Amino acid sequence: MNKNNQNGAVWVLAELKNGVPHPVSLQLIGKARILADKLGACVETVLLGEQLKEPARLLIESGADTVYMADSINLAVYQSDVYASILSDLVKQQNPEIFLLGSTFMGRELAPILAVKLETGLTAHCIDLVLKDNMVLDQQIPAYGGLISILCPERRPQMATVASGVFATPEPDSSRSGEIVNIELPSGIQNRARVLEIVKEETGKQSLEEATFIVAGGIGTGNEKGWNSLQELSETLRAALGCTRPVVDEGWAELETMIGQSGKMVSPQYYLGAGLSGELQHMVGIKGAQLMIAVNNDSKSPVFEQVDIGIIEDCATFIPLLVAKINEAKG
Amino acid sequence: MKIVVCIKAVPDPKEADKITIDPVTKTLTRGNIPFVINPLDRHAVEAALQLKQTYGGTITILSMGPPAAGNIVKECLALGADQGILLSDRAFGGADAYATAYTLAKGIERNGVFDLILCGMASSDGATEWVGPQIASFLDIPVVTMVNEIADNDSELWQVKTAWEDGYRRVAIQLPALFTVARELNQPKNLSFSGIIKARKKEITSWCIDDLGLPIEVVGLKGSPTIVGDFGTLETGRSVEILQGTSEEKAEKLVEILSEAGALG
Amino acid sequence: MVNFSLSEENEMFRKAAREFAETEVAKYVPEMEETSKVPDGLLKALAEAEMLAITIPESYGGLELGYTARLIALEEISRVSVATAMMLQVFALGIEPIVQFGSDEQKSKYLPGLASGELLATAAVTEATGGSDPSGIRTSYKKDGDDYIVNGRKCFITNSHVANTLTILAKSEENPKEFCAFIVERGMEGFKATHVEHKVGFRGCNTGELSFENLRIPKENLLGQEGKGMRVTMSAIGEIGRGGMVGCALGLQAACLEASIKFASERILYGKPIVKLAAIQEKIAEMKIELEAGRLLGYRAAALQDGGIGSSNEFAAAKYFTTEAAIKAAKVAVDIHGGYGCMEEYAVTRYYRDAAVLGPSAGTSAIMKVIVARWALS
Repeated sequence: MNKNNQNGAVWVLAELKNGVPHPVSLQLIGKARILADKLGACVETVLLGEQLKEPARLLIESGADTVYMADSINLAVYQSDVYASILSDLVKQQNPEIFLLGSTFMGRELAPILAVKLETGLTAHCIDLVLKDNMVLDQQIPAYGGLISILCPERRPQMATVASGVFATPEPDSSRSGEIVNIELPSGIQNRARVLEIVKEETGKQSLEEATFIVAGGIGTGNEKGWNSLQELSETLRAALGCTRPVVDEGWAELETMIGQSGKMVSPQYYLGAGLSGELQHMVGIKGAQLMIAVNNDSKSPVFEQVDIGIIEDCATFIPLLVAKINEAKG
Repeated sequence: MKIVVCIKAVPDPKEADKITIDPVTKTLTRGNIPFVINPLDRHAVEAALQLKQTYGGTITILSMGPPAAGNIVKECLALGADQGILLSDRAFGGADAYATAYTLAKGIERNGVFDLILCGMASSDGATEWVGPQIASFLDIPVVTMVNEIADNDSELWQVKTAWEDGYRRVAIQLPALFTVARELNQPKNLSFSGIIKARKKEITSWCIDDLGLPIEVVGLKGSPTIVGDFGTLETGRSVEILQGTSEEKAEKLVEILSEAGALG
Repeated sequence: MVNFSLSEENEMFRKAAREFAETEVAKYVPEMEETSKVPDGLLKALAEAEMLAITIPESYGGLELGYTARLIALEEISRVSVATAMMLQVFALGIEPIVQFGSDEQKSKYLPGLASGELLATAAVTEATGGSDPSGIRTSYKKDGDDYIVNGRKCFITNSHVANTLTILAKSEENPKEFCAFIVERGMEGFKATHVEHKVGFRGCNTGELSFENLRIPKENLLGQEGKGMRVTMSAIGEIGRGGMVGCALGLQAACLEASIKFASERILYGKPIVKLAAIQEKIAEMKIELEAGRLLGYRAAALQDGGIGSSNEFAAAKYFTTEAAIKAAKVAVDIHGGYGCMEEYAVTRYYRDAAVLGPSAGTSAIMKVIVARWALS
């Protein structure tokens, strides 16, 4: 769709997690509020699922002016064909200026499908969204050691996905009011990729998003033995263990523990990065830490420009030494 | 089964940190970094090979890229695919994910009937994860992403397992369809000498914009809804203190710092 | 314009060989270093990857890829494990006489098994009398009806205890100027693989002694013409044997260079990586030049061999150059590593030991010079 609309609303696709709005949905509403106020426009959200009354209220309290809702047991589980069909019809009807989605598992599958149905541009894993003067959204992603702006100058809506933890969660304001609009569902929507079940698995590991202390390892940890050493360090510090992409590629850690732009966004109080170069894709994943430490054997490594304490040492020798010293201090 | 695998030639991820961007011209300096098959696409090729072994059929490799990407397609033929198609034209350059997916979808249409399209779930450069689902959307076929297990299937509905938040998802999907695959799906086999010999007889066709019958406005830079704007730096606002002394002294100092910050509990 | 680049297909062979070496061979190296034994899994992996079939004709189940492909495979495998490359090159050394001089019956009997890895081969010429002087061997044969009875001992034989098919050289008891080449099969009565050597390098590559005590060899196992055995074995050694050493040496040179660059890029002295120092760059440049030169000598000789042109002189020059260069490169790599160059966790210590065994294998440097002098003066 091309740029030529009166409405100009900023939309957010909200999703539920355990029956309540997903943190990223609330964060995006907060950001949408800022963008909409600058545009002089409304913040509207779309919510598909079941038992949506309470969640819809929270969305309004968090900043939404309108919630388009389809509350049905048939929508309880995300189905790509069904959601894509309902959403693309709605967007074509309402013509929002901007449409934001969380970089959740659902978002990452649904957003590209929608972008094609709506014939518009889509940016992945933005770490900031800035409104330029001509209503064009500057979608910023990290790359090659800096920040690149992606723009969608002609097509509408301007679509972007953002990971949980990039933007702040707004404080709900119970005095806020908004409109709830029930979406009429067409009959006979096809569903060619039917989700049979979604299963949660207990890992027993500390969640990175909630951890106070995070130890992250990069390829400089050397090998499996070095990785085990780092694991020991994280256990000694009672920290969660994260990693960078090369580590996932080596098979030392799972993709779910990758911290960064296309992985997890985290906000621990303390962060220790070992054997990683400080590549921007990883570093943007860490926000607001009180104390950041890096261990790396290369004095020229960019990581040393992004932390508070730098230690120029080889992980293979230093990490076991550090573990020993911490144990000593604990007595 | 007629399987199409979409692959991308990317700079070797092991050397990717050598790539820099000129902040003024916004061009990339790739130097001599060799191109390889996008690592996740290798898993897609392996999945195709395993399906061919079980169900029979043909595997077509499709890639959009410069002529040099032909080597990567050849490699896939040596791995066991049957034929290759390279979409190569200056006009395809500068494409974002949307235009790339569109061009690939047109290539698939031109190639004819298919049962399944396989793609790696993301590329090691770019890593938007958009191209697979967008190809499916252009072709109006269902898509399922992050597949990490394909169950033994009968012909009607295929059952797959994918990664999902805090666990996994099981999906029953109708063919023709597109799957994007995750690393956990399989362990790709190595290139073999006899595979390379067999590839001598296999064909790679190259199609340009005219072969696809497309106007220049819908491909490449012109056909991309998104464009690259400015390149800026990210300020972190931290100034680092590099600890001095012997390794032992540094470790002790660090423990002290952690303790004072309350990190040692 | 002479084309100095490898064909696209050869580049793919290189990629395949490198992938194989890194994913299937590398994991056996620690075990080989520790036990000095040949891991069964490694032999299986080599067979599955079709490495044994490279020089065997297609009509007998081989890949018939030629000697450039062989050199590529050896170079890539040696970069990860010289011992494995040596083992592999000597399998081909045992195979080549059968390919060149074998009767149809002999080829049909042995080559398919040698291609699939069901059978492993070696060549046995060297004795205590000196590998440099093959005509001085003492292992002898005498005719007994249609059979031959062989007596003697061989030493420093690679793959001695794993080979099923051994091409041996024996001298006639009656006429010391007449030699016969025989195919000995493991299990033949009178044949024993005896002592196993403990080498300072090439660990995990099996080297040992063979003994023949009234070993009865049927006439079907005579390789080539009676009395003309020297030709059979020496032609293989001249090209396959030397060519194989070139592959081993080039791989080791490449490994030394890579290890040196990696270490020097990470080792910080005086506030910067030592790779920035002129003294280190000089060493790296020399290693690089010798690697480039060695590759040209080796691949040129292999190209001649692929063209069916005699290449034993070119291979002598290449063998001399590359093995000497590898020994130098290993020493320099150890030097660049400083104290770490003496610590066994660092691969350069293995490179140093492996380099020591390159020289005397398939002909000493001194003998290479004899051959090259003869070539120059002819």
